[in-house]
Amino acid sequence: MRLNMNIFQKIYQYRELLKTNVKKEIRGRYKNSFLGVMWSFLNPLLQLAVYSIIFGALLAGGDSTYPIYICVALIPWTYFTTTITQSAFTVIGNGDIIKKVYFPREILPISVVTSGAVNFIISTIIILAFVIFSGVGLSWYLLLYPFVLLVQYVLLLGISFIVSSITVYFRDLEHIIGVILLAAFYGTPIVYKLEQLPPNLQIIMQLNPMTHIINGYRDIFYYHQMPNMVTLSILLGISVIVTIIGYFLFKKLQKGFAEQL
Amino acid sequence: MKETDENIVIKVNHVYKNFNIYYDRANTLKERMLFFARNKRREKREILNDINLDIKKGETVALIGVNGSGKSTLLKLMTQIIFPNKGTIETKGKLTSLLELGAGFHPDFSGRENIYFNSSIFGLTKKEIDARLEQIIEFSELKDFIDNPVRTYSSGMYMRLAFSVAINVDADILLIDEILSVGDQHFQEKCFNKMRELKAEGKTMVFVTHSMDTVKNLCDRAVWLYEGKVRMDGNTNEVVDEYLKVTT
Repeated sequence: MRLNMNIFQKIYQYRELLKTNVKKEIRGRYKNSFLGVMWSFLNPLLQLAVYSIIFGALLAGGDSTYPIYICVALIPWTYFTTTITQSAFTVIGNGDIIKKVYFPREILPISVVTSGAVNFIISTIIILAFVIFSGVGLSWYLLLYPFVLLVQYVLLLGISFIVSSITVYFRDLEHIIGVILLAAFYGTPIVYKLEQLPPNLQIIMQLNPMTHIINGYRDIFYYHQMPNMVTLSILLGISVIVTIIGYFLFKKLQKGFAEQL
Repeated sequence: MKETDENIVIKVNHVYKNFNIYYDRANTLKERMLFFARNKRREKREILNDINLDIKKGETVALIGVNGSGKSTLLKLMTQIIFPNKGTIETKGKLTSLLELGAGFHPDFSGRENIYFNSSIFGLTKKEIDARLEQIIEFSELKDFIDNPVRTYSSGMYMRLAFSVAINVDADILLIDEILSVGDQHFQEKCFNKMRELKAEGKTMVFVTHSMDTVKNLCDRAVWLYEGKVRMDGNTNEVVDEYLKVTT
């Protein structure tokens, strides 16, 4: 019976659709632009240049590796924001198919998060190039990169389920998200160091999950030290819970998608 | 499930479906706060009212009735695109629906790419699609155009491709909504033959159509919907004759 079919079985059966969707999203991102996939690299590089110049003068205090400090945080941050922004749009953007064909709707948020992950893994080349050529170098902690990525992936999956389904009923969310993400950029230690903040503010920042994920990447690529595995593991647990809640919310709300769109 | 129910592949159980018709809908937060009374101005329209229907494996069923009687809604409910307000619908086996021409086609993709894309929406894996590709192209008779983008296709070609994909996915249940009217005589004939073949293989099919010829030709059971209720259900000829008597 299809209604009772386990979610994992369902996704496995529709794996080809997931694959096609991920491919379509990666290919479609820069489809009509002259430089094509090159933008995957140029975009973060240009952004990085801007931040390095502005915040470098303000916050770096003469640290020559400051651009690297930003780089290792900015690229995972880009994965975070683009995925959430796209999630808000994915169900609405695929409205035509949703209204006409049955397929597990869960495929849509999952492919947004997955295609973002693929893009992020490719962009990691930039981080690697930066740390190698700047003399910061590599370390064995690099082996923990997949773990930090897993934490981020699961967290994003949960957020994506929630955002993509609620936006269908409440279109304002698309714009609210833009504002929240802008605020979150400054609420996450990307361009500054956590220690530069007053202590009471630092405690608040600990509640931001992205703080710990960014710290994780930074420990691996920049500081060459063991990431805080306890915190990351707790965060993974929380992310799993968020994903489960998000999935059930999505499952409930998706019944009305075809009528709402 | 009881043993006597084993052959039932679609079970529609006391299904009610309403649509809310908003006169002017508040979509954004601002509108919702400023004009909170606005959403109250809506009309609840009952589309389906206590529908019960058991369709057995291998049956070919036509849903007939005048416009607005709830045929397409019932078909959409069976596909699980929309869900009932009350009651349940259970289906058994792989289900494919052709509700609208070329749903799930990407206009910029070529015909070949769309075969992959469209089949994957129906839940086929790449290997399964590879195995069917030649068969699908051959059935559609679009060999010369298969690598052109489908936005260059005529509506007849579009329909041929869509239909060829849908009948080749090896579904146990096929739901078809009034689309066979497109396509020339030759292709229609070919489709009917293919559907007779599928019928002989024991596939279950449900049609929504206004063409009584199709109904009589292909279906062994007809269900007449009238104002959201089943008015008559039984042997095709009897139901169609009664239907024609009342409506004409």
